[in-house]
Amino acid sequence: MSASAENQGMAQWVGMSPERVGGRERVTGAQRYTGDIRLPGALHVKLAHLNCGHARILNVDASQALRLKGVVAVLTADDLPKPMPRFGPVYNDRPVIADDEVKYFGEPVAAVAAEDEDTALEAVKLLRIEYEELPGVYTIDEALRPGAPLVQHPSIRAADDPFRQSNILNEWCFGWGDVDQAQADMVIENVYRFPLVTHFPIENLAYQAAPEKDGVSVWSSIQHPYVLQRAIVTALNLPASKVRIIAPDPGGGFGGKGYPKYEPLLAFLALKTGRPVRLALTLEETFQAIRRAASQIRLRSGFTADGRLVFQDIEANYQLGAYADIGSRVVSKGSYVAAGPYHAPNVRIVGRAVLTHTTPSTAFRGFGIPQLSWALESQMDAAARQLGLDRLEIRLRNIPAKGETVIPGDKPVDGDWRMLLQRAANAIGWGQPLGKNHGRGLAIGMKNSASASASFAIARLLQDGSLLILSSTSDMGQGARTVFSQLAADELGIPLDRISIVMGDTALAPFDASTSASRSSVFMGNAIISACRQIKTQLRQMAAEAYDMAEDCIRLQEGKVICGERAVAYDRLIRDYYGAVRGEVIAVGTARGKYLPNHPLGGQAAFWEVAAVGCEVEVDEETGEITIHKLVTVTDIGKALNPRQAEAQDEGAAIMGLGHTLMEHLILDEAGRIQNLGALDYRIPTIKDIPLEMETILQENGDGPGPYGSKGAGESGILAVSPAVGSAIREAIGVTIHDLPLTPEKVWLALQEKRAGENSFARPLTDPKSYVE
Amino acid sequence: MNAFLYFRPQSLDEVITLLVRYGREARLLAGGTDLLVQMRHDLIAPQVVIDLKRVAELRADVQLLDGALRIGALTVLSDLIEDARVQQYFPALVEAASVVGSVQIRNRATLSGNICNASPAADTAPALLIYDAQVNLIGPDGRRTVALRRFFLGPRKTVLQQGELVEAIDLPLPREASGAAFTRLTRRRGVDLATVNAACLARRSDGVLFAFGAVAPTPILVPVSDNRLLVTSLDAAIRRAILDEVAAHTSPISDVRASREYRLAMVKVMAKRALEVALQRLTAAEAQLSPVA
Amino acid sequence: MEKNLIPISITVNGRRVELEVQPQHTLLKVLQNQLDLIGSKECCGEGECGACTILANGRAINSCLVLAVEADGWEIVTIEGLAEDERLDPLQEAFLKAGAVQCGYCIPGMVMSAKYLLMKNPHPSEDEVRQGLAGNLCRCAGYNRIIAAVQLAASEKEAA
Repeated sequence: MSASAENQGMAQWVGMSPERVGGRERVTGAQRYTGDIRLPGALHVKLAHLNCGHARILNVDASQALRLKGVVAVLTADDLPKPMPRFGPVYNDRPVIADDEVKYFGEPVAAVAAEDEDTALEAVKLLRIEYEELPGVYTIDEALRPGAPLVQHPSIRAADDPFRQSNILNEWCFGWGDVDQAQADMVIENVYRFPLVTHFPIENLAYQAAPEKDGVSVWSSIQHPYVLQRAIVTALNLPASKVRIIAPDPGGGFGGKGYPKYEPLLAFLALKTGRPVRLALTLEETFQAIRRAASQIRLRSGFTADGRLVFQDIEANYQLGAYADIGSRVVSKGSYVAAGPYHAPNVRIVGRAVLTHTTPSTAFRGFGIPQLSWALESQMDAAARQLGLDRLEIRLRNIPAKGETVIPGDKPVDGDWRMLLQRAANAIGWGQPLGKNHGRGLAIGMKNSASASASFAIARLLQDGSLLILSSTSDMGQGARTVFSQLAADELGIPLDRISIVMGDTALAPFDASTSASRSSVFMGNAIISACRQIKTQLRQMAAEAYDMAEDCIRLQEGKVICGERAVAYDRLIRDYYGAVRGEVIAVGTARGKYLPNHPLGGQAAFWEVAAVGCEVEVDEETGEITIHKLVTVTDIGKALNPRQAEAQDEGAAIMGLGHTLMEHLILDEAGRIQNLGALDYRIPTIKDIPLEMETILQENGDGPGPYGSKGAGESGILAVSPAVGSAIREAIGVTIHDLPLTPEKVWLALQEKRAGENSFARPLTDPKSYVE
Repeated sequence: MNAFLYFRPQSLDEVITLLVRYGREARLLAGGTDLLVQMRHDLIAPQVVIDLKRVAELRADVQLLDGALRIGALTVLSDLIEDARVQQYFPALVEAASVVGSVQIRNRATLSGNICNASPAADTAPALLIYDAQVNLIGPDGRRTVALRRFFLGPRKTVLQQGELVEAIDLPLPREASGAAFTRLTRRRGVDLATVNAACLARRSDGVLFAFGAVAPTPILVPVSDNRLLVTSLDAAIRRAILDEVAAHTSPISDVRASREYRLAMVKVMAKRALEVALQRLTAAEAQLSPVA
Repeated sequence: MEKNLIPISITVNGRRVELEVQPQHTLLKVLQNQLDLIGSKECCGEGECGACTILANGRAINSCLVLAVEADGWEIVTIEGLAEDERLDPLQEAFLKAGAVQCGYCIPGMVMSAKYLLMKNPHPSEDEVRQGLAGNLCRCAGYNRIIAAVQLAASEKEAA
């Protein structure tokens, strides 16, 4: 589906980095995000939750709250249809509001709508909620223990679901070759853990909803408006044509704003009160609403004596929350590529989605891969050490060349991955002498991009020859509007400032599967190019008719229709074709990843998203503090449509990766409550925490399926940061740590254990909480 | 945040009258950077908030008195840090105050507020302790002065009696060459609360003073009578043994920021590092004072 | 709820406004809800993220940690007050030129902190920029470009 050929050599904007579309609004404070929209007469909503992770709701007495002046409505499960409407992107398992049970710390039990925010807050405090705290499962091990309390009642699961009497939502098994028969010279086995982390977009989740005469409008800071539309349709049983989703540009998404959370609740409240309603979550509530799946990955790897992989035996348990959200897809899609970007002749993968009484985990940049990369790449280092091989060398020995198979039956290798590693190694001075307590690390990460999915774009060449593109991609920081404008500008020869990209309104812009999986530049980019090309075809046909010429004598060039000797502007042609009342030229472009019902993921990866990371660190032996002296990412981007934006995305992804590598983790107590709820004790990187030097290299070999040979990026930078840093720490001070994050305390502890005579401390599979916080 | 009555008194008399009238229901507001956070989280829900910033007698500057610098109750940390006299005489305080929150926080937070908040982890507290800060209080029974080392009673607890408030903090000027330093450990390099913080003051006449935060219910002062610590070339094992004794005065707990064990170990590291810098500064100070040969 | 309204008078972006505010409302809420100045953002609400940074009497502060009543008599500059008519402040231009803007949610606070930094220190080193902006979180993590933007603005000021 590459749209590159026709354009090579004629790009004026593609490959440039023009000013970000929407940048001016953002630097002046004029940009209105979801919470900034003022709907006249809107009620303010506050949610009530319990101070524990799992409880049975016995009674909600709202009488006092309802007597408070200014309170308009209190909504609980009793106010909703029976059975409770449920929704979700994969399973319809999430109730609109807690139904009988609270299954995670922060799950709303009641929603108060009042004339102002203070009143709503006060009314929440006046609710008398009787509940019985129940034993809960807050870790993977607790959830898998025989006889553990069940997170989901078997009644909401399929009758033939073999796991319905357990906390396993699903189990995915992939593989090839025969692991049990494989003969390896050396086998290593380790367990690697990845913590609970949260997205922490600077814009908290925010929602609004308003009743319409026979439907509802919902505003949400959401990445996938059409996924939200489906949830509202499901929960409220309305036709999609009566459900309008307005999705203002999110203030950062990172996956956390992909899937519906409390929008159906807002929609019910709007219908119940007959008024617009607004709910802006606090940062604490946002923490309670979105997070990444934690993981515990047992990896048994066999190698030949010369460092070639013989087998990978992988058991990846992911900690989902109380509802599936997109978690089961994170597990299936992630574990499908669990053997990583390597030739592994024998592979057995078991991926489990484990339900727990915690915040439902959702999509998060990297979609299951950072967890796996941490395990896989740390294991490659362990193998290199065992075999006495250089860490770069062992990777090069196992990495497939372009065109070779990486996963049988899926897309062959579509880039030069070896080159990525070599460039990263060169950029950090691999093999050069190191200072005391300094170490270098190197790692590579591979993600399967979007598979079966569709994007539609409408291009409207307006009567004056300016261009409107309607697209349901979300511009959440990656700069989609800018890239789309560049593509359209080059395709139709229209100046950037005469192009507008309309997004975020399902009443205007057509279907798009999602703004996720680094798919937008490829899928929506191709759809936009296709729409623009159809406009060109129509323009040629119009010119042929209007000027009575053969169509093959007509060309388009630099925004003009060239008809023999004459160069006609688009608006002139529209006038000459339609007459003085004028008209416009419209086309719909589509791009689709083919749906393959028999493929384990429903379709092949459109491209492989791959990046190598190299770093040099220094460890303070006394405190365990880590200084990142240099961090390099090398991303296989195919073609950088807007290099500055691509670099910014990769750099941001890498720094975000440093967050879960060095400092981020949600700490739960014995009742499933988040102990570090909020910005004071959940640490993310500040401007002082970034590497002293960063380099972002984009590998442009023009070998992608997107416009101009591009591939998606934006997640690549986060994939392999952790193992690269872990590897560097090992080189610096000789300790191996298997559990993220690599906090100063954990590094210090590892050093103490090393001094006490141990070289590494692969811990047995125990409760991650056993690490004392 | 709950609703409350807001008072903006003009005089100390009015403040004291309000404090006496409302007792525990009232909270004093200076910079607000701790108070508003606690109120937002419903950790406290005062019915009365008394804003001190228009009280005529309370100062927002640094005055040079006979033998001391006086830091007014309303002096914000940014101003404290930039004061040349504070920089000259109390460098460890400047170092400590410079890491309290962000620029925006330091533009609002007062030194007095940082002390009255009585967080065991307050960064300015160890520095003030080694400098023997004196807290001037005023209340219904008049004025009194309490040494900071007697000011803290526990987490969020001080000797302040009902109706009392801090009027100023006095820092006695050094009477001999000294070297002091502040150091701390955090979970990240950017704005953070201390996992452990430490200040050290070295003087020839009475040895070395350490003070620590986040390792006991209150910031604590640990004087070391053993003058061998002042010897830069002291055998490392001996120094370690003395610092082990110093650390034995702390009683850290495990919390979300760190475990007790890690804090105990880091007390020694922070003490050692603060001592090293303090000794360097002591030597430099002595060199300045000694007559040119 | 009985509303206890207190009159205040503040100057916002050069314009004097008289308001009645409730004591428990932060200055940030009043800017957003009573003056429709939505550029200053709330994220953490506790002075950690800096998205609400404004200039108050010439100093950068977190507007989420100030009661509106405290601001009586203040001169306030918000992000909306930096550009003059259609002409952007050099810092705003520099943020655009350096590609420092991604999702944009942190940017108003970031620009205001940078503005204060340059007022105090017209030619900050990279370390000084990091120090000055340490109270502003950017989860898109455009930090390197933000540093570049501040230094670009500083150098252009020199050239002008």
